[in-house]
Amino acid sequence: MLEVRSIGFSYPRAPAAVDMVTFSVERGKLLALAGQNGSGKSTLLKMLARVGTPHTGEVRFEGRSLREWGAKDYARQVGYLPQEPDATFSMRAIDIVVTGRAPFLTRFAWEGESDYAAAAGALAMCDASHLGERYLDEMSGGERKRVFLARVLAGNPRLILLDEPLAALDLAHVQQFSKLLRQIVDRTGATVIFASHDLNWAAAYSDRMLVMRDGALAADLPPAELMQPDRIRDLFGFDAHAVTTSGHTWIVPAR
Amino acid sequence: MTIARSLLPAVVVLSAILIVALLIGVSVGSAQVSWRDIADDEIAGAILLRIRVPRVLAAALVGAILAVAGLTFQTLLRNPLADPFILGVSGGAAAGAAVASALGWGRVPGLVQLVAFAGACAATAAVFLLARRRDHTDPTRLLLAGLVLNAFFSAVILMAFSFSKQSDLTGALRWMMGTLFGATWTEVLLLAIFLTAALIALAWMASDLRMLVFGEEDARGRGVDVERIKLAGFVCGSLITGAAVSVSGVIGFVGLLVPHLMRLIWRRDFRFLLPLTALGGASLLVAADVISRVAIPSAELPIAALTALLGVPLFLSLLRRDL
Repeated sequence: MLEVRSIGFSYPRAPAAVDMVTFSVERGKLLALAGQNGSGKSTLLKMLARVGTPHTGEVRFEGRSLREWGAKDYARQVGYLPQEPDATFSMRAIDIVVTGRAPFLTRFAWEGESDYAAAAGALAMCDASHLGERYLDEMSGGERKRVFLARVLAGNPRLILLDEPLAALDLAHVQQFSKLLRQIVDRTGATVIFASHDLNWAAAYSDRMLVMRDGALAADLPPAELMQPDRIRDLFGFDAHAVTTSGHTWIVPAR
Repeated sequence: MTIARSLLPAVVVLSAILIVALLIGVSVGSAQVSWRDIADDEIAGAILLRIRVPRVLAAALVGAILAVAGLTFQTLLRNPLADPFILGVSGGAAAGAAVASALGWGRVPGLVQLVAFAGACAATAAVFLLARRRDHTDPTRLLLAGLVLNAFFSAVILMAFSFSKQSDLTGALRWMMGTLFGATWTEVLLLAIFLTAALIALAWMASDLRMLVFGEEDARGRGVDVERIKLAGFVCGSLITGAAVSVSGVIGFVGLLVPHLMRLIWRRDFRFLLPLTALGGASLLVAADVISRVAIPSAELPIAALTALLGVPLFLSLLRRDL
């Protein structure tokens, strides 16, 4: 469904942020995007979301280049959560979530009952129904994240791109959200690509892990193959132990 | 309740307030005239229809324009402190209008307005380029840019009148301090055309403009053509500011005061606030104009002083919160 062909992007007066990245994803997969700060994860996601245009190469979605997709058409298929979602002016959470339906509305149409129902459903999925009537400026960082994730889900996208969705969440919600991403993939057949700093949660439920280093794709492996101490040392530069409990491997930094 | 359904009652209430304000506006003034006198008293009729009614309507239109321009700039710049006066856009328009009228171009119809638009657009472009930082505008740079531009434009206005044939500084004051005195039906018509056109254009763009509240990248991800919408929005805001200033001179803080007041009552997005801001701005300036006419018998308070008295405390409290 998504084909990325040797795309590259560089910011002014800087080395390439994304350099010749190539991979493809089929429908119904959960992909984790790992890598150190500044390794190009966010830039890559922006290009997949059609927020940024690659300087070289091309991205194809459902067989068509992103250049050929209309902006609104693409937004109906693809949901993107930026790294630090926020609103300049505070609004009710439900009114924010319902704007996830905006690409489906005609120019002068306002969100109706069915859109609000979809928004309420998305909030419920993110364990945030109780936040619906509250205002954004009264919420913690984690609560905001949940509201904005619900906003992405409200559009029922087929491709979901999330930049650090687990950051700022408490551990209970990190656990719950990682599971939620898996459920969305399994139930709706959508494809999710999410960037994460937390290797263990990135690996816990994903089908594949992409690791970026200095803008290039350094690894593209199933989690079980990636989560090994020597690989971790190569890719992330820290010494680690692998701990296996109930059939699942966790990486623990060595002292 | 959906957003759409909660808009109607708000519009009804604000329209009622505006109608009351307009009725008070045409009923009070230094000359005691009433509607009954029009039929048999020619002077009373002239006072009402040729002086007071156009003045009150001009106040309403200028107020609506400044408030809508403020809301638009706040949305585009993602900055609550944006206002045509603070940004220097009004100053740019006034400088253009002042230079044109000091040069005696006032005789050519529309020329003063045209130069005022040019001034407003130049100021908008300057403040935007100076304050821009990636996908938002830095509040400190925005305020500094506005401050410097305003100082520059005041200097231009004073220079223009010092060098003009009459060397008449009261003319300069008219542009710098703002007044609705002497508004004509032609000006009312001009303002009405500009406000209507701007409201149609902004309503056309509203479903995209409102998405800017979540940031430019997010909006782009939602299928919004951000660059086009920004250019159209800035041109729209600058043009109507130019039109308002070419009639009234610089009246500050309306564009700050009204959108925030509306946002305080209805905490909603641009699309929802657009009609409310227009109605609220109109009511506020009609009310301020009435006070400026009746506060001191036989004299007039500068209307910009009144709006500043209301606006400065709000500005300071926003500044404290945001910097």
